[in-house]
Amino acid sequence: MATETTRRGVATWRKVIAGILFAIPWIFYLIPTYNTAQPTLGGVPFFYWFQTLWLLISSILFIIAVLLLYPGKR
Amino acid sequence: MVNPLIGPLGWGIFLGFFIIFVFLGFYGARWRRGDLSQLHEWALAGRRLGTFLVWFLVGADLYTAYTFIAVPSGVFASGALYFFAVPYVATTFAVAAVTMPVLWRWSRLRNYVTAADFVQERFNSRLLAGFVAATGIVAGFPYIALQIIGMQAVLTVMLLGIVKNVKLVSDIALTIAFIILAAFTYTSGLRGATLTAVFKDALVFLGVIAILVAAPIAIPGAFSTAFKAATLAASTTKGLLVSGVDFLKPPFYLAYTTLWVGSALALYLYPHAVNGALSSESDKKLALSTALLPIYGIALALLAMYGILIYGDTTAMKILSLFPPAARGSLVIPMLAVTTLPEWLAALALLGVFVGGLVPAAIMAMAQANLLVRNIIKPLNPRITPQGETRAAKWASVIFKFLALGFVFIVPATYAIWLQLLGGIIITQTLPSVFLGLVTDRLDKYSLMVGWAVGLGLGIYLFVTPHIPAAMSPLYPIAGHLVYIAVIALAVNLLIVLVGTGIAMAIRRGASVSVSK
Repeated sequence: MATETTRRGVATWRKVIAGILFAIPWIFYLIPTYNTAQPTLGGVPFFYWFQTLWLLISSILFIIAVLLLYPGKR
Repeated sequence: MVNPLIGPLGWGIFLGFFIIFVFLGFYGARWRRGDLSQLHEWALAGRRLGTFLVWFLVGADLYTAYTFIAVPSGVFASGALYFFAVPYVATTFAVAAVTMPVLWRWSRLRNYVTAADFVQERFNSRLLAGFVAATGIVAGFPYIALQIIGMQAVLTVMLLGIVKNVKLVSDIALTIAFIILAAFTYTSGLRGATLTAVFKDALVFLGVIAILVAAPIAIPGAFSTAFKAATLAASTTKGLLVSGVDFLKPPFYLAYTTLWVGSALALYLYPHAVNGALSSESDKKLALSTALLPIYGIALALLAMYGILIYGDTTAMKILSLFPPAARGSLVIPMLAVTTLPEWLAALALLGVFVGGLVPAAIMAMAQANLLVRNIIKPLNPRITPQGETRAAKWASVIFKFLALGFVFIVPATYAIWLQLLGGIIITQTLPSVFLGLVTDRLDKYSLMVGWAVGLGLGIYLFVTPHIPAAMSPLYPIAGHLVYIAVIALAVNLLIVLVGTGIAMAIRRGASVSVSK
């Protein structure tokens, strides 16, 4: 039963880079560099808008990771 | 009595678009036709959804009343702490993009419909699978209840100044909405939920963007004014916005971090999340749509900020002051919609929040029903036919919806929210069996059961026992810092699983050595 899931032959370097890309948002949010009010954007403190911006960044990182993990597949 | 906030035009638009919603729900049965007497056709839409449909479906499924009501309500009352929802949704999809395609491949190969199906074969234990299934079913109820509370908030705002007994009329309206919902999920299954999900998402985005555009017009100075007003309110009212307005006060840092970490680990253990993921057409499409889901979270982040924005809206604050303080939070978004938007747009935004509760409630009840039939009824009655299985699941989904509705009518809203928090703590205890099970089959099933039971017991005990900040708070102080209980219980659970597996391996090795001698 255990062999089926590992049968996809994806190169190790692809897995490593994808793993790093998936981990970057975790690391960013774990270190509270965003916990400050300045600079504000449209009256919104840094704490709120910078974390929101990272939603978009996370998505981009994840898409690159997924494309690395599924080369050529539909 | 105050003047009505929504007039005949608004009501007409709300009801007219609700009829379109209902039509889409029933039309689902004819869309991409399949044999709906098969469980995977009814409950997983035949596993035929592509990247964008999975995105809309899972987005509608995961961004729920929790998003529209509980998070803005938390920011409104407690401040920056509740913005933990943003790192939570940014990171949870990394967990999902790694784990769910693996589960999808197993499920396609072995025709699994639930995560407990996988656990059962992986660890060759119906009992462990039964525990995982029961945890999912129990954790699902307060989640559905929370959806209903969100829908109540919409009806409260819409009925204000129109009828005397708002509670009675909104209860009747909710019951009618649930009868319709039960009827179309019974007939269309996940296909109906998928079509209505696209409709819901469109309305939600419309509402969120409309408020963002309209806020500077309705509120001079918009966010600048709002943050100043909130800071002023925090300094004059004791206990309001205690975790900070402009950013997080340092004592809350660990609470913030453990809340998002724990929630991010837990989301894809919930049966409705798994259900949505397994409906995908391929593992790559599932992974791609999951990678795109943090973008949906931008709407969540804006809604969370609207919990502060409302402080700048004097009209909204005046109406809110008519309600008891504990009831104000859940009205934040519906109230902002009616005070900042033109009536027709406000009606659409309110419908977005309303069906934003209905769609997830439908998927949650379906996912609970799958667990009940596949992992509890079937092991007890192995001779059930595939058709009998589907029939049982359809009826179970109806019953689960009305159990949750009855629960909301009987139990005060505060308790329903507490139980939802408790649900998050207990669902996290299935992580070792499901997520670690995807990585390795070497874990010992008895250790998994003991870890689950101890994690569950500890989580419930810490939650209900009187502690700082309060009994029924999901946070518990450790060395003077508040920590999310789910994370504490999960740590103990994981320790038991790893140590127990180590002992079981040593015993087995010892036994095989003595046999070979």
